Amino acid sequence: MDDRISLAHGNGGRFMRELIDDVFAKSLEGLGLDTDVDAAAMSLSTDEYLLTTDGFTVQPLEFPGGNIGSLAVHGTTNDLAVAGAKPLYLTLNAFIEEGFEISVLQRIIESLATAARASDVKIIAGDTKVLRRGEGGGLYLATTGVGIRIPGVRPSMRLIEDTDRIIVSGPVGDHGTAVMLAREQFGLRGTLSSDAASVYDIASTLMQFDGLRFMRDPTRGGIASVANEIVRATGLGVRLHPNIPVRQEVQSVCDMLGYDPLYLACEGRLVAVIAAHQADDAVEQCRTVSGGQQSVICGRITSSATRVILETEIGGERFLEELEDDPLPRIC
Amino acid sequence: MPDESTLGHEIEIGGRVQGVGFRPFVYGLATELNLKGDVCNRLGTVRVRVVGDVNVLREFETRVIRDAPPLSRPSLLKVDALQNNGYAAFSIQDSDHSDEAKIFVPPDYFACSACLDEMHDPDNRRFRYPFINCTQCGPRYTLIKALPYDRVSTSMSEFPLCAQCHAEYSDPRDRRFHAEPIACPACGPQLRFVQGDEAAIVETQAALRAAVSVMQSGNILAVKGIGGYHLMCDARNPAAIQRLRNRKARPDKPLAVMMPLGDGDQLVHARQYVNLAPEQAKAIRSPARPIVLVGRKMHSRLAPNIAPGLDEIGVFLPYSPLHALLLGDFGGPLVATSGNVSGEPVLTDNAEAEARLYRIADAFLHHDRGIVRPADDPVLRQIGETIRPLRQGRGTAPLEIDLPCEQAEPVLCVGGQQKTTVTLSWGRRAVVSPHIGEMTSPRSQAVFERVANDLQSLYGVEAKRIICDAHPGYATTRWARQQPLPLESIWHHHAHASALVAELALPGRGLVFAWDGVGLGEDGSLWGGEALYGMPGQWRRVASFRTFTPPGGDRVAREPWRSAAALCWGDNRPVPFVREDLHIARNAWQKNLNCPATSAVGRLFDAAAAIILGIQTTSFEAQGPMLLEAACERAGSSMHLPLSDDGHGVLRTDWAPLLPLLHNAERSAARRAEDFHATMANTVLDQAVALRTLHAFDYVGLTGGVFQNHVLAEQVVARLEDSGFTVHLASLLPSNDAAISFGQAAEWAAQQCRKRAD
Repeated sequence: MDDRISLAHGNGGRFMRELIDDVFAKSLEGLGLDTDVDAAAMSLSTDEYLLTTDGFTVQPLEFPGGNIGSLAVHGTTNDLAVAGAKPLYLTLNAFIEEGFEISVLQRIIESLATAARASDVKIIAGDTKVLRRGEGGGLYLATTGVGIRIPGVRPSMRLIEDTDRIIVSGPVGDHGTAVMLAREQFGLRGTLSSDAASVYDIASTLMQFDGLRFMRDPTRGGIASVANEIVRATGLGVRLHPNIPVRQEVQSVCDMLGYDPLYLACEGRLVAVIAAHQADDAVEQCRTVSGGQQSVICGRITSSATRVILETEIGGERFLEELEDDPLPRIC
Repeated sequence: MPDESTLGHEIEIGGRVQGVGFRPFVYGLATELNLKGDVCNRLGTVRVRVVGDVNVLREFETRVIRDAPPLSRPSLLKVDALQNNGYAAFSIQDSDHSDEAKIFVPPDYFACSACLDEMHDPDNRRFRYPFINCTQCGPRYTLIKALPYDRVSTSMSEFPLCAQCHAEYSDPRDRRFHAEPIACPACGPQLRFVQGDEAAIVETQAALRAAVSVMQSGNILAVKGIGGYHLMCDARNPAAIQRLRNRKARPDKPLAVMMPLGDGDQLVHARQYVNLAPEQAKAIRSPARPIVLVGRKMHSRLAPNIAPGLDEIGVFLPYSPLHALLLGDFGGPLVATSGNVSGEPVLTDNAEAEARLYRIADAFLHHDRGIVRPADDPVLRQIGETIRPLRQGRGTAPLEIDLPCEQAEPVLCVGGQQKTTVTLSWGRRAVVSPHIGEMTSPRSQAVFERVANDLQSLYGVEAKRIICDAHPGYATTRWARQQPLPLESIWHHHAHASALVAELALPGRGLVFAWDGVGLGEDGSLWGGEALYGMPGQWRRVASFRTFTPPGGDRVAREPWRSAAALCWGDNRPVPFVREDLHIARNAWQKNLNCPATSAVGRLFDAAAAIILGIQTTSFEAQGPMLLEAACERAGSSMHLPLSDDGHGVLRTDWAPLLPLLHNAERSAARRAEDFHATMANTVLDQAVALRTLHAFDYVGLTGGVFQNHVLAEQVVARLEDSGFTVHLASLLPSNDAAISFGQAAEWAAQQCRKRAD
């Protein structure tokens, strides 16, 4: 096989068959993919299933802690998990740019497969297209995910009430920082890596609590944007405490570059809103789950102001505003 | 039939005539001249009807303006003939609410000497009473709920008058006739001392004793005053001050000092600690009792950590009877800093103060007179010959300035992001609120909204349009976008320039240097070193600086090393300091990641402070430039920075030749700081001279926070005047962003006037 993707890899002929067999079918073996059929069958044992779809264009394609392949699985399954579903099936579309190195593609699809196995989801349908050189960023992935509703769990922003507590399952901003540093080739030797991971185990732990109101994985825009979405949807206010965990490495890079980690993406964290009386128990439980050891109650819902207010260490307060398109300095 | 020589006049008097003892004065004057008739408060004006001899009427009309009470600013609006309807005497009538008229909201006044004398008189029934006041003194703006200014519309309405107070209040000959906040120990507000979990002390004199003893033992007291709480401690006790700094997370920012009242000109105590030029002494004793920045005496007993690294401190005198008692009993200077969490407006509510300040204050001295809206202490500084405001507040605000042209409709101007004020403007009037503060916190936002609403309801004017800064991320801009009114935006530096021109009513065309920290400019870069040519409504940028790109967004403002590094990298020089992770910042700078381009002179001063003094990070705004200014001992020598057209009609000064000057380790820091100031001053001159050949302007204006640096401003003025320029700086409004809201009003009005004229 060639080293690089050519337009022929997308023409429906031998090149394409070899690519699918050698890269996709081999890597995804055992994940339920039948490359010989045009449509896959799903066995659904519930009367309600959840469907989500997602696209992945991250640059760079590979970054400390993951790549676009693992990200595609985690991103899609996490959307299902926070909606109250157990992820079961994924479909996968790969848009590959002419000239893309096949060995890199191989690595990415393998890591996608590893993530899928670890998350116990099947990849049951797929497609590849080859884009002309210069028309794509190397590789784009598009996924659709199907999951079954966990009985009785219907998290929704509409359930959120005054005095509810907000839980975050671990340090924020890791993914956004790691990807930014990798993209800009800062060449850091440090320990910074993406937090990309499945949040299903944490989500399912929280689903045992009948006081669970709402869950969200704080991806683009970070936890600050999730809080602002809650405010907009509920008309209530959010107070965030100064204890939101941020890794020292993340904080210091953000300090240096002038970014706020509360606005940076996570790919393996979960933000949940839960009734006040169950919040302590819920955090205790989350801490026993892999990836949730650093869970904390980091805020509360209030009815006093329809804003997101961050309490500061010295007893002050500041607004966390909705993200501007291109934030400019405001301070003299 | 009336006598032939007897005439009647109905006189309407406007200006500041309410809450200042104007009606009793009119009563006294009319009675003295043996005139008959009456006087009453209208909404914002006073109507006098007088009947008497024609010559006496003329004398009355002269003296009613000339001899008016010191706090009043009356103006004769009109005199009409009055049908003489047989008055038997002269009387004071109740307020008449029926008419709409020009309203003036009176500011808060310092305790007058007559009241202080009574307070110190053991035989007086108000002996040592902290809320003594009269028609000539006491709180106004901070306790008025609605106009007209009557007791029922103030926070004093909760205190029913005792018989004695009522008698004084009702007697036209009494100096407390209609003193709306009138009070005495029997019927008025009381003090309340709270320390930890101990039972509150609710007897006023005992509360005072406890409060003084807290400060004597080196602890921190939160004191409710006129416009909000102060945090106070012994100004001669460095440990107490350090504790206050640590708890308030305010490691370096200068603290104001309240001096005990002395005999004679009241400044005898102050002079032990500070040097007072005559103008400064006069400013300290002016009715607003402002904080004035003055030179501290070497080897005085004031703690050095009051203003670390600076040779100036802000001093003021007790302005309320409560402060006079506290300072008198304590017997020495007290640090008196705003009782707030850094950057927020001063706290005013007893419960909120305890909730927010419990980590800072060891004890609280409350009182039960409500503060309806906050007013921080005003701050002044001598720049050139003139004492100029750095902040307007208690006693000086609301500040009213007439606009050169008329607003088509009432507008609410919401200012900027920091040092925010709000301006309500209608007709040719513009009313500027006191300092509100940094707009990041919920409390600032709440006070901002309150003041914006209050100005409209107090003056009975409903804004039809909102004017905001062009910066989309300012909290004031975000707020403005959510209001159901039409919205217009004004460029930050256009507002600066128009504020200066409108305040001074400068005619013709000007060249205005707007030098400050950061404001969004028309080309999307961050301006702050601009020269604008024109007049309100038609500014054009004609000079600026070569831009540079400090990394880190908002962090640049508090970390001068970023500006220094950007200049060094931009000129291929090594950065003269070591920082962990500096390579990350350099990488970001190379890739232009969160490194917005700026031409702000404030950032050049930051860079100079970082390179010359090694100030890499700061804890308050303009700390680097202030220390750099303080490092200057004498006039420096200046160099010419190259100036060239950027191809878009803007002359740009290149900062690069500054770097060898800043880096020259063979010269002392003081000499380099002096040379830097001289060179920046010279740059104004170079730009003005070059622009004189290109544009016809009548004067040069200086505005923006950078010109609060008196070393710079004085050199700029001297150089310009030597070269034949007429130079103007603002003296009513601060030249910093506190002027933005007024500038928005002036600029918007001018734009509309121009449109109507076209």
